[in-house]
Amino acid sequence: MNTHGASSAEAQALLGSAFDMAQAVRSGALRATDLVQASLARVAATDGAINAFTDLTTEQALADAARIDAALAAGEPSVRELPLLGVPFAVKNLFDVAGLTTLAGAKIEREQPPKARDALLVQRLKAAGAVLVGALNMDEYAYGFTTENSHEGPCHNPHDTTRIAGGSSGGSAAAVAAGQVPVSLGSDTNGSIRVPASLCGVFGLKPTFGRLPRSGTYPFVSSLDHLGPFARSTRDLALTYDALQTPVGTAQVDPEADAALDPGWARRAPEPTSASLRLGSAGLRIATLGGYFEQHASAEARTAVAHVARALGVQTSVELPLVEAGRAAAFLISNATGGALHLDDLRRRAQDFEPLSRDRFIAGALLPAAWVERAQRVRLRYARAVAEVLMHHDVLLAPATPCSATAIGQEHFELGGQRLLVRPSMGLLTQPISCIGLPVCAVPVWLPGAALPIGVQVIAAPWREDLVLRVAAELERLGAVHAPVAA
Amino acid sequence: MSPTGLSTEALAAYADASAAVLGLPIAPEHRPGVLQYLALAARLAEAVHAVDVSAHDESAMVFRPVSPEHPAPEAVAAPLWHQSGANT
Repeated sequence: MNTHGASSAEAQALLGSAFDMAQAVRSGALRATDLVQASLARVAATDGAINAFTDLTTEQALADAARIDAALAAGEPSVRELPLLGVPFAVKNLFDVAGLTTLAGAKIEREQPPKARDALLVQRLKAAGAVLVGALNMDEYAYGFTTENSHEGPCHNPHDTTRIAGGSSGGSAAAVAAGQVPVSLGSDTNGSIRVPASLCGVFGLKPTFGRLPRSGTYPFVSSLDHLGPFARSTRDLALTYDALQTPVGTAQVDPEADAALDPGWARRAPEPTSASLRLGSAGLRIATLGGYFEQHASAEARTAVAHVARALGVQTSVELPLVEAGRAAAFLISNATGGALHLDDLRRRAQDFEPLSRDRFIAGALLPAAWVERAQRVRLRYARAVAEVLMHHDVLLAPATPCSATAIGQEHFELGGQRLLVRPSMGLLTQPISCIGLPVCAVPVWLPGAALPIGVQVIAAPWREDLVLRVAAELERLGAVHAPVAA
Repeated sequence: MSPTGLSTEALAAYADASAAVLGLPIAPEHRPGVLQYLALAARLAEAVHAVDVSAHDESAMVFRPVSPEHPAPEAVAAPLWHQSGANT
């Protein structure tokens, strides 16, 4: 029996991989209902300390699991082969979930009616056999890197509950690190998948901008918003990502039609990655990112990159041209777009906003248009300059966060003699990469003797998610990165 | 306009004027925070303005027309590495 009273086979299975859970359900060793009940029991036992969940979908989850079990009992072969058969998952509460109000972390949104149907990516995971158990805590309107949500209470880091989980997809990373679910979904505009993955010690994938349709999710910055998965292994991450790419629906019912309304969606055909995980890193041209990415990293963050580089035999370092300007461009575009998006509510009811980000939203609404227009032009110039670097390098390595998890409530941290605000600055190292839409896998590093994990970004050229997942899988195979369930 | 050298007073005056134009009241208790973040944005705007762009440096924002028959944007062609099966 472990510390949360889990002694049963399903409770033990829940702490393992999604791949093995699906196999167990497929073989009849476990029922989908067993796994869903184990997930709900673990949430009940642990979430008082973590606060990852803001809603549970207990009744629907048990009904969905029962339907899977009945289909298996009836011998339906199409169900048996589903890749995420019976796997419990949860989503950041900016994804629409049928029957729930989409909160996007905001008190203001509580007044909205429940949604009639699930976001497209939720539908895709359900079609792959996964079972949704609930919605997860986040920074209000995704504008923050700490998930210290004043309306719902802060999300606590499962590895040290006095510390932040990171954000804005803090609940998504914490739920996976705490063993409540094996996989989850989040969003990343400036680092909101990679920052909490780094601080909670799990794997997180931010695909290329435009890869996954965003229909049925609450927006923040349309030209920067990405969606993606979290998991405790690269195999589970790839399995989930591949399912997220797979269209669903029939000739009669086509939920995919909504995807076409997402102006950022690139409408690419699925490019599955699971089969490429075993290819290793041999032959790939890999380099660490120096300059800005070293200057804005603590000693532990730099050591984490060195640890990963050593495991891969990487000795080359390169710098990204225009990176400071690129990061600045992402900040200004986000600040202005977010402020403008919420201008009506900021006028009418500023007091109802999250106190920790309200002033930033108001400032964003005031930015001169010329600054933002200039930022969009500099962004394209920067993207072209980085593309030249990527002509000579397949994969780039950089820290995911400047430091490991800070204390809940902490306002500042020190970096290179500078005193920086935690909430807007924890994304200093992720922001320049999402600004130009590159795919990234955040991999969790536990340095010798460290009490907390810290992540490294594995970055590739647009549309090469296969490469970042390959290198992440190789690092896992080498024992350089891993994502244990928090004790 | 380059924001270089903006004083605290100039930023505060800008905040008050632009908030009035937008019809966005700023409560006294929110004002210090707003000015702090506006100053941060102004510093970052300096980094953006430090890049020399010409009239031919286009925006990263691209509009795609919407036709009545196909209300969705046109598909983006797959790159060569995908067509040749290089994704293995």
